[in-house]
Amino acid sequence: MESITLEVAMNIARRDLLDLWRAKMLLFFFILMPLILMGMFGYLYPPVPQSNASTGSIGTAFPNLPVSLVQMDDGQAASSVAAQFIQVSQQQGLFRVSQAASYEIARSLLVAGKLKGIVVIPQGFSASLAAGQPATVQVTVDETNPTIAATVQSEIAAVFNIIGGGMSEQNISNLDPGVNPSFLIQPISITQIPLISGVASSFQFLAPGFMALTVITGSLQGVAAAISREKEQGTMDGLLAAPIPHQSIILGKVAAQTVRGLIQGFLILGLSMLLFGVRIYGSPIIMVIVMVLGTASFVGVGIIMTAVAPDQETAQMMTMLLQFPMMFLCGILFPIDQLPVWMQYIGKALPLYYAADALRKVIILNASLTIIMPDLLMLVVYTFITMIVAIPLFEKAMRR
Amino acid sequence: MEEDNSLPDQAIETYRLTKRFGNFTAADDVNLSAQKGEIYGFLGPNGAGKSTVIRMLCTLSLPTSGWAKVDGYDVVKRANEVRKRIGLVSEKLIMYPRLTALENLMFFGRLYHIERNALRKKSEELLEMVKLTPFKDKLVGGFSSGMRQRVNVIRAILHDPDILFLDEPTTGLDPQSTSFVRNLVRDLKRRGHTIVLTTHVMEEADELSDRISIIDHGKIVATDTPQGLKNKCGSNNLLEVFLDLTGRELRDSANERISMRAPMGRM
Repeated sequence: MESITLEVAMNIARRDLLDLWRAKMLLFFFILMPLILMGMFGYLYPPVPQSNASTGSIGTAFPNLPVSLVQMDDGQAASSVAAQFIQVSQQQGLFRVSQAASYEIARSLLVAGKLKGIVVIPQGFSASLAAGQPATVQVTVDETNPTIAATVQSEIAAVFNIIGGGMSEQNISNLDPGVNPSFLIQPISITQIPLISGVASSFQFLAPGFMALTVITGSLQGVAAAISREKEQGTMDGLLAAPIPHQSIILGKVAAQTVRGLIQGFLILGLSMLLFGVRIYGSPIIMVIVMVLGTASFVGVGIIMTAVAPDQETAQMMTMLLQFPMMFLCGILFPIDQLPVWMQYIGKALPLYYAADALRKVIILNASLTIIMPDLLMLVVYTFITMIVAIPLFEKAMRR
Repeated sequence: MEEDNSLPDQAIETYRLTKRFGNFTAADDVNLSAQKGEIYGFLGPNGAGKSTVIRMLCTLSLPTSGWAKVDGYDVVKRANEVRKRIGLVSEKLIMYPRLTALENLMFFGRLYHIERNALRKKSEELLEMVKLTPFKDKLVGGFSSGMRQRVNVIRAILHDPDILFLDEPTTGLDPQSTSFVRNLVRDLKRRGHTIVLTTHVMEEADELSDRISIIDHGKIVATDTPQGLKNKCGSNNLLEVFLDLTGRELRDSANERISMRAPMGRM
């Protein structure tokens, strides 16, 4: 009996794959969609070059932002600081600095969207320094975009850190030439030991997530579509009226979907290596294990949806409804630490989170099976829970 | 009538077979009995319950109450035994458009555990019989409806079923394909198969059936030989008999039925 079930399931799986192979357009779009999304998000969050304290370089994700400098003080110190600001900003590729005659002019340019920030060197700046007091510069940023605002703010601060550091060194040397100025200014400095070689691009983060997404939503949608299409087309009657165990129909659909998911997952990985320079550090065999378990974890949900939905269209809408928020909740596009805690809990209740997490660890960090075991266990638990609900529902729905 | 009384020479027997979808009764206390080797005509207006009864007999739908036996096996308790013995041509084609004719036959044949080589031989013979050998490696999706139905019909008899259910097998077919299907039905009867046939073409039912049941609003309203039915109504035309029994007016209640049924996701 067991071998018959398996043989029938394999037959059904083979037929499903043949059917899919002959629908090449569909296959093409299935891979195109995640690639386009990945390209968009990858370029939206470009890699941030690492800042390096020892060479004094500042990394930025948004090079050459337009910033205006308003110099209200004619003193020598003010002019020197202004010149240094322009020089450092341009050297680091942070800002394109223009000069404005007054704050009002600069402000209206910023409101018009032509500037991202304004740096004002106020009157009395030079006098304050000459009197041995710390001096202040004033900063205004474009607050319509929080990301840009924060970036401009911190980068201006970094530039003045460099300028101020130079001034401190000068001051210390003037006071006591025998002292190492760095010891007084910054007694502790940081250097990074890289976790992986090379630059970690956003694509490196996105690619495993999109692999997991494709595999899991594929299993959700693919199985639901396959079953409801056969139901509508009439061929499901041919399967149900044949002397075969109904589990073998489910098994066959799942097997076909698993093969399809693996092919799609690896195609996405291969293309992102080719197009976006993603690198693999881990074992492909462990990746296969994660993807197979990922497929299994969500097949049940697909079956439940087909059983509940009256037709293919509704089933598709239901899967879309689940699929879209999952992208955001499960850390595919950005780390879920960016979400409020209650949303993180929802994300962690979905199997996609575990599949993406495991794949990322394997691909980027060369994680072993033992390390990703908690993720895999969650996927197995999910598989069992959903299947226990799905199989009787399927049976009931099919023989309504 | 007790369950034990079913006679071994009865291919199909139902007792108070009932199917409800919500509060709509699609089949209501249906009692049928078809002898082995006969062609059993099953007639009724659209939505009268023909397909519902056939789906229950084919184990595709579970009865709400009553029971049915096919070849002596209960359709609920011994579904698998029933499935081994039946072939089905339903309203919708049981055929994958993206497979070739031969691939379709091989796929469905394997579900009946027919050995691969024997199955291929049988499939090719049947394709030859329906004059589709030149098209055996072409995708069914590109076939005309007549060609599709010819493949669909031989798909249903690949495993040599004792009982064949033909649900409107000639609807929408050209005269050539229609006449092929009718000849096939006669031929199968000659070889001892039982056939349950539904159709809206009265002369087809008259010409082929040994006995006819007419169903309306889920209830059987008459069962007899074609001649018997005609005698009873004093007409020499089965169409007249049919209209006498099921009424001449158009079925305005059909809308109500469809709206009640569609949300149930009837396949």
